[in-house]
Amino acid sequence: MNYALNGRLGTGRLAKRTTRAGLQALSLATFALGWELLARRLDSLLLPGFVETIAALVRLLTTSLLWEAVWLSNQAMVLGFSLAAVFGILLGLLMGRWRPAARYLDPYLNILLATPKAALIPIVIMATGLGLLSRVLITFSYALVVITINVRAGLSLIDPGWIEMSRSFGATESQLWRKVFIRGAFPAILTGLRLGLARAVSGMITVELLLVALGLGRLILDFQGRFDSGRLYATVLVVVAEAVALLQLFRWLERRVAPWAGNGVDR
Amino acid sequence: MGRQRGGPVIELRNCSKRYPSQLGQAAVDALEGVDLTIRPEEFVCLLGPSGCGKTTLLKAIAGLVSLDEGEVYIDGDLVTGPGPDRAMVFQDFALLPWADVVTNVAFGLELRGVPKATREKKAFELVQAVGLAGFDHHFPRQLSGGMQQRVGLARALAVDPQILLMDEPFGALDALTRRLLQEDLLTLLDRRRKTVVFVTHSMDEAVRLGDRVVLMTPRPGQVRDIVEVGLPRPRPPDLEKHPRFAELLEYLWQQLREMRP
Amino acid sequence: MLQLSFLPPFSSVLRAAMDLIISGQILGNLRASLIGLAIGFGLAVSSGVMTGLMMGRYRAVETMLEPFVNAFLAAPRLVFVPILYALFGVGRGVQVGIVFLSAFFVIVVNTMGGIQQVSASHVEMARSFGAGERQLLLRVLLPGALPMTMAGLRLGMGRAVKGMISGEMFIALFGMGALLRTYGSRFDSAKVFAILLIIVIVALVCSYAVALVERRLTRWMEPAA
Repeated sequence: MNYALNGRLGTGRLAKRTTRAGLQALSLATFALGWELLARRLDSLLLPGFVETIAALVRLLTTSLLWEAVWLSNQAMVLGFSLAAVFGILLGLLMGRWRPAARYLDPYLNILLATPKAALIPIVIMATGLGLLSRVLITFSYALVVITINVRAGLSLIDPGWIEMSRSFGATESQLWRKVFIRGAFPAILTGLRLGLARAVSGMITVELLLVALGLGRLILDFQGRFDSGRLYATVLVVVAEAVALLQLFRWLERRVAPWAGNGVDR
Repeated sequence: MGRQRGGPVIELRNCSKRYPSQLGQAAVDALEGVDLTIRPEEFVCLLGPSGCGKTTLLKAIAGLVSLDEGEVYIDGDLVTGPGPDRAMVFQDFALLPWADVVTNVAFGLELRGVPKATREKKAFELVQAVGLAGFDHHFPRQLSGGMQQRVGLARALAVDPQILLMDEPFGALDALTRRLLQEDLLTLLDRRRKTVVFVTHSMDEAVRLGDRVVLMTPRPGQVRDIVEVGLPRPRPPDLEKHPRFAELLEYLWQQLREMRP
Repeated sequence: MLQLSFLPPFSSVLRAAMDLIISGQILGNLRASLIGLAIGFGLAVSSGVMTGLMMGRYRAVETMLEPFVNAFLAAPRLVFVPILYALFGVGRGVQVGIVFLSAFFVIVVNTMGGIQQVSASHVEMARSFGAGERQLLLRVLLPGALPMTMAGLRLGMGRAVKGMISGEMFIALFGMGALLRTYGSRFDSAKVFAILLIIVIVALVCSYAVALVERRLTRWMEPAA
């Protein structure tokens, strides 16, 4: 009369912390091993083994070549991101609190959202040349929109009851901004900045790979052109590691200062 | 009760279940050494305050919860998982939001591989029987809570189970809807011979519906008392006026009161 | 520093668009782009939903794949193009690969989230009626996750178009991205804006198409009338 019992009675989903770390180590080891075996099997100039890549990475990390490239690339990224942070937060606050601004800017924001930003690169370069400014502008355009929409979404989550409550206690306009709006939208601002940072890194590497061969992008292109696969993969790993590290850092920061924050709007 | 009864016997023997401690919470003894025999075609109400393990007990009968100790037998067969002889009605209705009324009612049959035409015919009949004629193609979100639980009831009846397991089915409904559903449930069961195990925290509901009321204590979940209701069936509309009704409520209230920690 | 000559009047942008369409450059490249987009997105949807389903249902699978998914979500997609280029050479492979990489991971995380948020009582209900694991996956978890899966598809489509354009700009051989790069390197700003305009329209149409399917499939979610 009974159906076969299929293993997961009750709360089988509880994985312990140690098993979790063990599983992830296992998974990474499997990946590395699979990569190595595949590379040996194919024995191709184009696919370096895991060991070869790591060796190339270690050698690369001790050269000034890599660190100069990291420095050069990140200058533009940091400047563009900072600009996007300032403008994005201001724009988000404006659109979140002042309806006409939202109505007027919404269509542009949506078009900008749907536009492949890479397509803007030739135009920006036509306008500003191949210097630092063009790269800053491009990282700026990559990061701006996602910051704006998150700040705005954060404001829209503020309970009108809080505003009434604060007014009833005699809050002034500036108090209202500091203690209710900024405070309430704070987690969303942080989330927007984190997502914006990911976009900025993306913008940085995209412009370098596509039109202004400099920094990390140039390294990648050089290694690819010379069929130096070990160093090509190693440099790609560096870029991925930078992105992951920056995001983890930001996530950690977010959890520290706003543990109640959600995941935000990523489009 | 001299009448010959055909349904199965449910036997619970020394049932224990402990939920292990989780982050910041101590372990909970949901059930400890529960023995209970439910007679064929009996309507048994499990009554007790929240946390007394009555839902765990019901889910053990359903085969959804594995016991740490003890066994559940149905007609002498050990329960090791859900089976076609049992169907459950859920407190939160558990209707599939993407399926219309008929599809929801037919869901159990669908899982058993019954052909579409057959199962929809059966579902259609039950939709009528539970008083939802004309709502066949409505979606759950378009129905009130009471109507949603009627769908849940029809879904359980559609698979023709011998045992109906009901987990606080009317707990989420307002008082008026609740009374109506209680009456309709009894009417539906009059024409269908079922063994019913009904979990509730309402004394009134337990007495209105049950043949026996099993009183349970919390932490550890144990059977404190088993009360024969002994009210006439079918239950008269003015049950409240029956002296036995008031007497039972008074007795249950005294018992529950003493359980207070 | 800023030269305004790069900004052509709108009329010449439209004229440039007409010229490009008449000369057949748009049609040929648009076709090349859309074929790659369809193949890459199709692969991303089928494998992404499967992967998300497994990650959402089995904690061990989630734990094992999570580091990779997070890394790929965080990393700039275009950085993988030189690797794809080295592996596949110039051609479809790179284009399909970048479309896939752009869409796959966001579909995975959304499907996974959708599966995990299917209510426990639905799972219990299905099991009480004797559902096996396969029935549970196909009849309860997957439909329950559908709204979030579809949201993932919508996001994935947006990213796929963007990944495709930048990938094509990198290879500079075929597709709208290549066309953009050609005229960009000639500083023909009217043509660049014309191509950009068409790309934006295509991107909006693709997103709209997915949104349309999404609305059809998740009609049961709309609030009661």
